[in-house]
Amino acid sequence: MNDIGLIGNPNTGKTSLFNALTRTYAYVGNWAGVTVEKKVGVLSNKRGHLTDLPGVYSLNPLSEDESVTIRYLLESTPDIMINVVDASQLARNLHLTLQLIERGSQVVIALNMMDSAKSQGIHIDIERLSQCLGVRVVPVIARSGAGCGKLLDSVSTASDSGNPAPASSPTLPDYGPILEAAVQSLTDALPGGVRDARWKALQFFEGNRLAAQALAQHVPEDFLQSLHRRTEAAIHAKTGIPSCEAWIRLRRSEAIDRCLQASVRCEQRAPVSMSQRLDRIFTHKWLGIPIFLCLMYLTFKLTFEWLGVYLSDALDALIQGPFAEGLERLLAYADASNFIRALIVDGILSGVGGVIVFVPQIFILFFIISLIEDSGYMARIATVMDRLLEGVGLNGKAFIPMIIGFGCNVPGVMAARTIEQPKERLLTILLTPLMSCSARLTVYSLFAFAFFPSHQAAIVLSLYVIGVVLALVLAKLFSATLAGSEPSLFVVELPPYRVPQGKTLLRSTWEKGKGFMKKAGTFILAGSVVIWLLSYTGPGGIGVDIDRSFLQKLGQMLTPLFEPLGFGNWQSVCALITGFFAKEVVVSTMNILYVAPTEAGLRETLTHFFTPLQAYSFMLFTLIYVPCMATVAVIRKETGSARWTWFAVCYALAAAYLLSWLIYQIGSRIG
Amino acid sequence: MKLTETAIGSIVEIIGMMSMNERVRRRLSDLCIAEGSRVSLQYALPFHGPCMIESGGQCVAIRRKEAACIEVVPI
Repeated sequence: MNDIGLIGNPNTGKTSLFNALTRTYAYVGNWAGVTVEKKVGVLSNKRGHLTDLPGVYSLNPLSEDESVTIRYLLESTPDIMINVVDASQLARNLHLTLQLIERGSQVVIALNMMDSAKSQGIHIDIERLSQCLGVRVVPVIARSGAGCGKLLDSVSTASDSGNPAPASSPTLPDYGPILEAAVQSLTDALPGGVRDARWKALQFFEGNRLAAQALAQHVPEDFLQSLHRRTEAAIHAKTGIPSCEAWIRLRRSEAIDRCLQASVRCEQRAPVSMSQRLDRIFTHKWLGIPIFLCLMYLTFKLTFEWLGVYLSDALDALIQGPFAEGLERLLAYADASNFIRALIVDGILSGVGGVIVFVPQIFILFFIISLIEDSGYMARIATVMDRLLEGVGLNGKAFIPMIIGFGCNVPGVMAARTIEQPKERLLTILLTPLMSCSARLTVYSLFAFAFFPSHQAAIVLSLYVIGVVLALVLAKLFSATLAGSEPSLFVVELPPYRVPQGKTLLRSTWEKGKGFMKKAGTFILAGSVVIWLLSYTGPGGIGVDIDRSFLQKLGQMLTPLFEPLGFGNWQSVCALITGFFAKEVVVSTMNILYVAPTEAGLRETLTHFFTPLQAYSFMLFTLIYVPCMATVAVIRKETGSARWTWFAVCYALAAAYLLSWLIYQIGSRIG
Repeated sequence: MKLTETAIGSIVEIIGMMSMNERVRRRLSDLCIAEGSRVSLQYALPFHGPCMIESGGQCVAIRRKEAACIEVVPI
């Protein structure tokens, strides 16, 4: 098995290529020490493991997830690197390629998006490009999978040949006498056995702090610093260029230009591209934000009213009908005791089944989020929202974790890593839990259908909007008071719009939705059993009436606290407590405690316990009150601070109580 | 002349961007937008919102105040 790394600029179709080259995962988890997702797939010809690296523009990292890629190159020894290159942006992409060749890696270039290059009038002579760079170049269209077979063959031949990496590529730049001498004196100072010494030295002169750290293990830091200073001064004196970094970049650009002159021919481009035309609509001066809100509204319409509710009802009928009957018959056949039968039917089937029925709605939502990610619209949303977010001390990019947070807060909090500025990143992490995740959707689906059957989408949208508005208000408050004052910044690449490709879309929807299914099998299952047990047993013994159970006693103690919010019944208090494990458990708990296994039955029962106003107050409290356990854990990991984690929990509780109280008190005054 | 003062869609050459925030400048140079690049302003959002600039077929959005740090000359 070969170890192969997949590396490339962001937005070059890396994920599509990863999906096209692999069939199954060998490993999905996190990079050591950080929570950036690490995906390793098995190549479809089974001849190697492919590691998906976070997208980077250069090897000098600006954000946290970029540094993952650089660490990988500094510490691992992949046999081959597949470098995804966007054919329509060769000049920019080849900066990274040259750095990889400089490292001495065996590089195979997957030249992606040949189709869009061609439509822009860019003609690439693959043969010449390959000669110039001294590495294999394989044209691919990652989205359709075209050329991937040939790419795999190239990777196999490259690894079979067993050649060490090409000693030199004709295009590799000479950095001029001053810098080359400095690199030489640095590599001479290193002990023998340090791998890729020249590459590390060059990265160091380019200002890469991770390379500097790696070198500082072998040579004194003040030696490094003074060498850097002297070299920079000498370059400035001779060329007028202010930094080593700018000088290195210039030399690379010149080398790339020479290479492209030999291998690329450009025709006059079409005056206005499709993307520009779409941008005139989606990022329109005044219509940009309204269009975004309309699209979100359509999303909810689709998820709740047009499609989701029918699928959910069908699934509910299936689970409570044929499935439940089959299960009853099986239990009778196995001659199960009353206890076992009650556990399985009233505990597990009610609890887990009550949540499983929301799977269709959750998958629809994840599908739409994947669609937004893959189409290129996400970067536009960040752009149109930037002005608003700048006003509250964040930047437009903070909106991306928030939208992902609509699916699940855990990846949302992780996605905050792409934010370069530490203060903005912290605020985004703290506020992303206010984005109403798909788990909370189960609660809204239940209550909105029971109490507001004709305005479901509007009611649910109002909760999402309250979450976002509260996040903005708190961002303003926190950025003014808590976090230090660093200048806010915003740069985002706007990739061309692309029609999302079916396979990638389905795979990423599945990846996201899978977590929910897994939760149903673990947390929710375990939670259901515990809740049922606590409701089945009481001070009076086993099999007591639910109104005399332990759970009732526990809920009753806290009930007075929730009286002013409008839901002072012990069942809903218990549901909120258990909801900390996972918000879906709120629904499971209610299924069990209101002794209503079907969704329709529970809706009916709820109308006896809540008024519409109380129901809204309850939904609002569920939205805000506390991030779920998994989110709290990831906040702890991402902020690296117990203090900020506690802060995230406490401010949410306080805000939830205050808002629900206001809504209920004002609502009941108005009537 | 500053980039923000140019006409929408007109192509200009960057001659200086040293007064810009260091990190923004780094990211722009990662995207091959640096001294000597040819860029054009595509649009600017209202209330001093971000600007979209185009260079060599790729588009980037930055804030107005950063775009105002880009010194350009017409070509």
